[in-house]
Amino acid sequence: MVNRRDFGKISLAAGLAATLGRPAWAASAADTVVKAAQQYKGRSITIVWEAGLQSLDPTHFSGPKWKELTGMDVKVIEVATAEMFTKIMQDYKSGAGAYDALNVIPAWMPDLAQAGALEVLDPYVEKYGYTPELQTIASTFRDNQMKVGGKIYGFPDDGDVFLMYYRRDIFEDPTIQKAFKDKTGKDLAVPKTWADFDVVGAGLTDILKDKGIYGAAFFRQPPYAMYMFEERFRNEGGKFFDADTMKATINSDVGVKVFTGMRKENRFMPPGVEQFGFVENLATFLQGQSAMTISWPPYGRWAEGYGTDQEALNWVPKTAIAGKVGYALPPGGHPELAAGFALSISSTSKNKDAAYLFIQWLNSTDVSRQRVQLPYTLRDPFRDSHYTDPGYLALWPNAKDYLAALKQASETGLLDLSLLQTDKYEEVMRQAISKLWAGDDPKTILNAAATQWDDITQKIGVEKQKVVYAGWAAKSGAYPKM
Amino acid sequence: MTTVPFHRRKETKLVFRYLTVASLVVIFVFPIYWLLAISFKTPGEIFAFPPVWYPKSIQFNNYAVLFKDGDAKTVGNSLVLASVSTFFAMIFGTIAAYSLVRFRTGGENLAVWIISQRMMPPVAIVFPVFLFYVWLGWVDTYIGLIILYTAFSLPYVIWMMRGYIEDIPLELEESALIDGCSRWEVLWKVVFPMARSGLFATAVFTFVFSWNDFLFALVLTRTEVTTYTVQVTHYFGGQSNFWSKIAAMSVLGTIPVFITVATLQRYLVRGISMGAVKG
Amino acid sequence: MAATAHPDRNFKYWLISPAIFLLLLIGLFPLIFSLVVSFMRVTMLETDTSFAGLVNFVQLFHDARLWQSFVHTALVIVIALPIELLLGLAIAYLFLDRMPGRQILVSLLMLPTIISPIVAGATWRLLFDNRYGPINQMIGWFAGHPVPALWTVNPQLVYPAIIFCEIWQWTPFMFLILLAALSNVDRSLTEAAEIDGARFWRSFRYIVPPAIWPVMSIAILIRGLDLFRIFDIIWALTAGGPGTMTETVSVYAYVQGFRQFESSYTAAIAFLVIALLTVIVTWAIRRMGLAK
Repeated sequence: MVNRRDFGKISLAAGLAATLGRPAWAASAADTVVKAAQQYKGRSITIVWEAGLQSLDPTHFSGPKWKELTGMDVKVIEVATAEMFTKIMQDYKSGAGAYDALNVIPAWMPDLAQAGALEVLDPYVEKYGYTPELQTIASTFRDNQMKVGGKIYGFPDDGDVFLMYYRRDIFEDPTIQKAFKDKTGKDLAVPKTWADFDVVGAGLTDILKDKGIYGAAFFRQPPYAMYMFEERFRNEGGKFFDADTMKATINSDVGVKVFTGMRKENRFMPPGVEQFGFVENLATFLQGQSAMTISWPPYGRWAEGYGTDQEALNWVPKTAIAGKVGYALPPGGHPELAAGFALSISSTSKNKDAAYLFIQWLNSTDVSRQRVQLPYTLRDPFRDSHYTDPGYLALWPNAKDYLAALKQASETGLLDLSLLQTDKYEEVMRQAISKLWAGDDPKTILNAAATQWDDITQKIGVEKQKVVYAGWAAKSGAYPKM
Repeated sequence: MTTVPFHRRKETKLVFRYLTVASLVVIFVFPIYWLLAISFKTPGEIFAFPPVWYPKSIQFNNYAVLFKDGDAKTVGNSLVLASVSTFFAMIFGTIAAYSLVRFRTGGENLAVWIISQRMMPPVAIVFPVFLFYVWLGWVDTYIGLIILYTAFSLPYVIWMMRGYIEDIPLELEESALIDGCSRWEVLWKVVFPMARSGLFATAVFTFVFSWNDFLFALVLTRTEVTTYTVQVTHYFGGQSNFWSKIAAMSVLGTIPVFITVATLQRYLVRGISMGAVKG
Repeated sequence: MAATAHPDRNFKYWLISPAIFLLLLIGLFPLIFSLVVSFMRVTMLETDTSFAGLVNFVQLFHDARLWQSFVHTALVIVIALPIELLLGLAIAYLFLDRMPGRQILVSLLMLPTIISPIVAGATWRLLFDNRYGPINQMIGWFAGHPVPALWTVNPQLVYPAIIFCEIWQWTPFMFLILLAALSNVDRSLTEAAEIDGARFWRSFRYIVPPAIWPVMSIAILIRGLDLFRIFDIIWALTAGGPGTMTETVSVYAYVQGFRQFESSYTAAIAFLVIALLTVIVTWAIRRMGLAK
């Protein structure tokens, strides 16, 4: 009996074989740069990567492989997520030039680009003919996370997006369906709007509480809840700013409605959900204690047990719900492309060309396909080809639904707000959410937040920010097409 | 002979003391125990509801992984940095303290200037120090951090040792001088031994402050001299939390200091009874 | 043969020279740099190095959030410092006399201070978690029913949580320092007092403190200064929240300087802090008679 792990290995091997069997005339982006990199044999380059799980990719897979193919040494500089922006900025401002390639969260790109810390990549893309393969990155990522002011500053390399995960067994259980119908008069179904979500969540909690199961749980800590607010706010029709005056409009009726709704929902979630972070929420879902949750793609893989037998993932609680997980878009239908990563080059690097070859190779169709299937990876599918890759589809029985949901998400996804000094605006939001959990009145909180946003905009320069905002708002993923 | 009342008997006092001490130790050590337990727990036990107080089985796999992956080396780095800097800080600081106390060198102004080094919020100076070190080529080097930690420990050492040195009666030093000792010998033979308990207490915390530094280690290192405090933060991710590694690493990081404190305890309390002047 | 005056003069300078050299080497450049930058307009996006006058310092006075952070910091110091001092003194007293296993017990008590503050903060966060932490579990046992106290979210609980963690972590510091000082106290003094019939408390109050005052006052000063810079516990538990309720000066400076790269403004804040602290410390030194 072939188990899951063998499945993965077999498909990986099959995929590799397919790559090697490529006809010579179709020189892939990966091949092109491998060839060009031969001149840098023996050179050493550094790349800044998120510490921990993410770094296993370059330290265990892509780094050694690249070295094998080109003789170039890749030194991975692991930096804790929270410190990445700071270290990149400090390295740039000090002129130390210790970093060659970078992992950059797309929301930081305007700030980094404006400060001059990132190298413009267009000339390199031209030189090494990467445009065709750039085009095949899923449209939402490609059109939203690559450019600032019309210039390419990074290659989207991670399909981070919020999906809704739910317990198929609960939603399909006839007893529960009946109890739900009796209680609410509605049919039990995966909610498509937030109004539905409230009904479904509360109803399920009522029915299942005695078994220790709640209708839903979310990660409510401010840094995470901020993304969820950005998503829901726009799904319900809200706009962050008035495009003409650049006045913040987060305190509109929509904003108040969302804030009020978020707090009300906590009541049918596990007590103390306001303190949940990524792992607490994961544990709750994987151990079967919540019927619905929203989070990044890894939940979907780990809930089905893919990769969790790896040592690197031994911190993930054992899943009690394998085979029972369903995938859907979050209510509203336009999920947040929360965070994400792009590959960039530092403008003070002394090995720009060599480093560029590496990141094109990493990001290329062939190599990225392998990387997103690594069992310990945190990189999620981001290319059109990833969603239909036979190797991936074979990784676990329900993978096709997973990939289908991700594909849909990549077509309707919403971009994180990114302006000049995004962190300042985000900080205000995080504080607003912490006040929300503390019990303050939503309208008051949002009014104060809007005022603070306006102050920040004033400080930066209304006209300056207006231009950046217009550039952001013009992107396909800025606001949902209603 | 009158019987001593129950509540004043030596044994009762001892029992009473023991009970109080035991409860205190339990309260202070409980979180550490929890951390230790986490280092052996499975993720399901770490995030068990209701919380689980002890792991079902003790397996050292989490610790083994740290050694295998080379993470444990960061504990070694921290050890080197903290011990060397503490050593130098204690020497330079104590003799400086002696100068301040016995000779009033620099008067109040110097003393205040020294302590003012500890007033500067680290956040404000970490970037200038980084610039300085980039220029010197000291980023990500042992020497760089050792010098930094030594310098930052000095105000603390100087001020603490001032107090302990003031406690030493002047007559002891004067009689040693009369006996023909040079000033340096007085320092070495009289002052240092008499201030032993103060030296120990000060050294412990000088070590701990350098050991636990995060901000400077974060900014001034990249890959070669990663300290254990920075390494631990690598386990806190946006989409991951390696609790077993965090816990195991913390335990590993605590053991050397714990052992040092335990073994050097005898210097804490002076064995000689007071009043006897060393001949 | 007494040492002559001449070697004395050089001797005392030799003694302080290594320390002063190091302090100047590491401390001087950052100080000057910060001073210079505080008169410029260096932010994340612009490095405007033209002289901008006192604009940053003026901004300081209008910054309500900054002054609130001072209040928050003062609150923590005023509550935590006395408790740490008294508790530390009391525990040191308990440990003064011999008892079997004292070595191990003292080492165990040191553990909170030895642990990295970042890890301590993260651990406490987990301990305080309503679902996965043992503290609310224990409270529930005593109360007979689950008590969903949200220590890091509820505005009424955040300060108690922070102060409790702070005291937990740093009382051992006071304890060890005072133990070292107490153990130097002439036991014959206290023994004589006891033979005279003086009760325990009298000797504790009137004989001991004056004897250890030099060390104790410095410990208070150092601990006070360190409390002013309190950061890790707060960052791990609340990140300054809810809102900015628990934002202390260090947290605010961290966000400004480290995350948002308001280099000039942070430098101005730093100098304000130094100025304020210098005044306080000088006053404290006079009052405590530390530099007679």
